[in-house]
Amino acid sequence: MDELDETQLKNHVDSLKQQLQYNRDKTSVSLPELTKWIEEKMNEDPFLNPDILKDNPWVESSKCVII
Amino acid sequence: MGEMEQLRKEAESLKDEITAARKAVQDLTLQDHVAGTAVVGRVQLKTRKTLRGHLSKIYAVHWGDSKLCVSASQDGKLIVWDSYTTNKVHAIPLKSSWVMTCSYAPSGNMVACGGLDNMCSIYNLKGKDGNVKVMRELAAHTGYLSCCRFLNDNEIITSSGDCTCVLWDIETGSQKTVFAGHLGDCMSLGVAPDFNTFISGACDFTAKLWDIRDGQCRQTFGGHESDINAIGFFPNGNAVITGSDDASCKLYDLRSDQELITYQDSGIMCGVTSLAPSLSGRLILAGYDDFNCNIWDSLKAERVGVLSGHDNRVSCIGVTPDGMACCTGSWDSFLKIWN
Repeated sequence: MDELDETQLKNHVDSLKQQLQYNRDKTSVSLPELTKWIEEKMNEDPFLNPDILKDNPWVESSKCVII
Repeated sequence: MGEMEQLRKEAESLKDEITAARKAVQDLTLQDHVAGTAVVGRVQLKTRKTLRGHLSKIYAVHWGDSKLCVSASQDGKLIVWDSYTTNKVHAIPLKSSWVMTCSYAPSGNMVACGGLDNMCSIYNLKGKDGNVKVMRELAAHTGYLSCCRFLNDNEIITSSGDCTCVLWDIETGSQKTVFAGHLGDCMSLGVAPDFNTFISGACDFTAKLWDIRDGQCRQTFGGHESDINAIGFFPNGNAVITGSDDASCKLYDLRSDQELITYQDSGIMCGVTSLAPSLSGRLILAGYDDFNCNIWDSLKAERVGVLSGHDNRVSCIGVTPDGMACCTGSWDSFLKIWN
């Protein structure tokens, strides 16, 4: 903060005033919603559900054939 | 002299008020909330493809869709890869080889890059004659370009060593909005899934959430003890993940405006260079200076896997939009596709 001039310092204070006004939710509300979202999505997560990667576009599905 | 001192005191007092406001809404911690949840099982991802072709350190990679990605190397090239076949769709020579970032437009029509030239160069991949040419050079930053991300074919956001981020109009080449407020080099940025906000991580050890349309900083997150090198939105848009030179990653909740948890281990002593969440956000993949990439259980903060295979620093990582694979880029000049 020492390198700021007066205008920058004023802007810094104004920004902090704005940030203080932010409407914060209680963690008892936001955390259960966050974990619920994650848990519902985990079934579709290819890194956690091996069935999804049965069709793996980066793995050759057939062997090479010499013609 | 008195005015400055007054302002500094006011800033400190406001910071204390924000800290108190955060504490006041903390009626549950993440650790307590997931105390009964089991850690996910060991995650073992294998290298499925190695993309060879760059002749020097790779600094950035970005997926365009779930097949094509663009990479930037200090060999002075941007390469667009078909990751399924490992073919190079485009190999674009750059005016400046000191590139630090690249981005693929969501439409697939353009790519962008920039670095020590302080500019963001936009390339049109779908030109009429089939040649890839520079479409626009966005110049105004007074420091290096650390990161860039397209909002659409006409708007891109850049972060810079000059401590600002900028929203550009690509057509006119002009700065629409300058996001000023960081007190150190901006190192990385991420755009929210709904495109209304973006986050920036900087060398002032903080992450900031910005409203794209009105240019205001809505939230600032501290806690790291060194430069933030990597930042990303959690897939649902309500949380932010950061990676730092302090060897840790952190998860911040946007709704309650606070730090939730730190991902660190006494055995890890080197900086985090890059990170990406898996599709569900349950896993966080983070690249480190020690050549590895660690996979973290985001809720339990335990390491559940490691991607080893690079012979030098992992500088960048990205997960495909459909979550089917991740790509790591390294100073060893190779990119690897894992799943």
